[in-house]
Amino acid sequence: MLDSSSSPSRTARPREGASNWLRASNGLGAVAIACLLLVHPTPASAKVQVVATLPDLAALAEAVGGDLVEVTALAKPNQDPHYVDGRPSFLIPLSRADLLLVNGLDLEVGWLPPLLTNARNAKIMPGASGYLDGSLVIHRLEVPNSRIDRAMGDIHPGGNPHYLYDPRAGLLVAEAIAERLSTIDRDHEALYRTQLAAFSKALTEVSDAAMRKFAELPEAKRQLVVYHQSLVYLFDWLGLKEIAALEPKPGIAPNPSHVADVLATMRKAGARVIIQEEFYPRRLSDTLAKMTHGEIVNLRGGARFEEGETYVQRIERSSEALYHALSQ
Amino acid sequence: MGLTSVTRLIAFLSVCALTSAPASVLGSVFASTSTSTSSAGEVSDVDRALIESAFGASGDGDAAGQSVGSSSSSFASFSGAIQSMNPEISLILDAAAAYFDGEPMQLGGHDPNKTGFSLQQLELHMAGSVDPFFRLDANIVFALFGVEVEEVYATTLALPYGLQARGGQFLTRFGRINATHPHAWSFVDQPLVIGKFFGSEGNRGLGAELSWLSPLPWYFEVSLSANNADGECCARSFLGADDFEVRGPLDLLYTTTIKQFFPFNDSWSLSLGLSGQFGPNASGYHNRTAIFGTDVYLRYRPVDSAERSALSLQAEGLYRRRQIPDGLLDDFGIYAQLVWNITPEWEVGGRFEHVSGVSDDPLDPDWTRPRRRTSLEATFYPSHFSRLRLQGSYDEPLFASQPVYVAMFSLEVMIGAHGAHSF
Repeated sequence: MLDSSSSPSRTARPREGASNWLRASNGLGAVAIACLLLVHPTPASAKVQVVATLPDLAALAEAVGGDLVEVTALAKPNQDPHYVDGRPSFLIPLSRADLLLVNGLDLEVGWLPPLLTNARNAKIMPGASGYLDGSLVIHRLEVPNSRIDRAMGDIHPGGNPHYLYDPRAGLLVAEAIAERLSTIDRDHEALYRTQLAAFSKALTEVSDAAMRKFAELPEAKRQLVVYHQSLVYLFDWLGLKEIAALEPKPGIAPNPSHVADVLATMRKAGARVIIQEEFYPRRLSDTLAKMTHGEIVNLRGGARFEEGETYVQRIERSSEALYHALSQ
Repeated sequence: MGLTSVTRLIAFLSVCALTSAPASVLGSVFASTSTSTSSAGEVSDVDRALIESAFGASGDGDAAGQSVGSSSSSFASFSGAIQSMNPEISLILDAAAAYFDGEPMQLGGHDPNKTGFSLQQLELHMAGSVDPFFRLDANIVFALFGVEVEEVYATTLALPYGLQARGGQFLTRFGRINATHPHAWSFVDQPLVIGKFFGSEGNRGLGAELSWLSPLPWYFEVSLSANNADGECCARSFLGADDFEVRGPLDLLYTTTIKQFFPFNDSWSLSLGLSGQFGPNASGYHNRTAIFGTDVYLRYRPVDSAERSALSLQAEGLYRRRQIPDGLLDDFGIYAQLVWNITPEWEVGGRFEHVSGVSDDPLDPDWTRPRRRTSLEATFYPSHFSRLRLQGSYDEPLFASQPVYVAMFSLEVMIGAHGAHSF
């Protein structure tokens, strides 16, 4: 029962018997602290735990690490990597990771930073040996060389971040992953090197073959329209030309007058292929394709890593689909 | 008797540990985490233990973070990007125009609260890593005639065992909406129950927090914080505006939460939270207040939706018990909101609120009967960095003579760093 007739001074010693239900509730705090002191997680696994923000990075780590690593991809291949929900469940693999692979160039800036803070894992913080930013080892394109402003749209200040569509960049990242894995798991340095060499050979074959094939296409067939300006690395690899983008500025939704301009550009140049990643809206592109008697190439956002697709397969399949459309 | 003293002791110890851990303890803790990662064959465990004990004995804080045996080889060097030690800075403006067809009864400090234009807030957010062990976050809010340090706290980055500590001025993690700022809200104004139970700014204060990410295979996080229990804006169910000297651990405000997350599949997920808050209140006689809360967030976002559409249901229920000189006051409040992101540009939502009232409430003497409010909103996002929101509310305080119709139009724009939102 409540005791309201106690001493009027609140600073006196607490009275016995008063407000037991409230005092007991403070016990909850005690239980919480007791839990904190008793339990400590020790992920006992011999494999190096790798977390990759994107499935393509995960596929690269899998190719280089093989059975020595356990790889988790956070984003799904059919998901726009700019707008991933930073689910709290991502904290589980992140908190246990030995190595975190990020795409960098601000691609994950909308969802990764709070996860990284909350994962409480010093091993994978920027600057630690378990944090690898792939963009630091590739040749970056579209790096702004003058002052940029958001009025230009959602420009990435460090350069275009979508470099994993180019297998030559993928190979550079794989080399960096192998080097980093060797640092974390020194006992298997030789094996990582062997696996990297095998991967490098397979990927270079596919890449060179695709480059030869695309080079034989006539100039007129090598021009495309994109939805978002995310394919500059792909075009650089295959010698293709982007003549227009459906988004008037990166990240700004298409509007009718801009799309009319795109249509005019397409007709003038005789371009008939629109290429976009699978997570961009289709309706506008369908209309444009109909008006120009052209077609749409739905580019895969990433390797179907969870279904076992490798990076080499993913590059081969993407370039084949694109070649098929362009060579019509 | 036994329970009380044990609780006080533990609470006291935890506060001491958070605020005054000696550098040597921190140093050895940091060192022990990083060593476990290295797997160099050349250095035996015995060697390592010897080296570590040398560091521990010297109590050299500078040794923190240096891992024994791990390679510090330099990797690919940064080429070309603009390097800067400046923190991330962003500036967010929330301004609104509102119309009330009766007496405005808004509770939130950033709510439009009169017919006409209002500056809800101008928020300056700055954040960055301090060193490998801490990051600092500051939210400084400007009104037309004043500045307020809404939040400024340091967060640890390298504690072992899934622990993380925060210290400074911060919004407590009670429930879902309390820890967030207006620019993360789906409605222009603050839920009534938050304003009534915590205050116009939500529950916050100077204090320290320890949270723990459990090793369970799903997200299960426990947090406990101790904050000053005063502030009319921020702890009105506790000491409020009362000028009060803290004499012992029971004079602080304790908040404890359990948060869980269940991803059913790539598209559906559910967050569940339980929160409790305990502290002294301003009615004297060692009287105390407890607030219990539960929150639910059910989200459907088809992972491959080209329109990035999403549907989310968020609801919180809070129950409050206060001891007052003449007895015990019980009241509760809920809000539930359903928000549909149709496309990246368009969003609509509805919110229902119900907050009960009690007689003889020293804080809200008029609030003797329930108050209900229903709101609808439609938002247009020209880009990721701006939004225009139209909101209509039907506010029905059963203790007042008339319901009030409210229309609000708000503009939010943001410059600077691209702030990420927590889920």
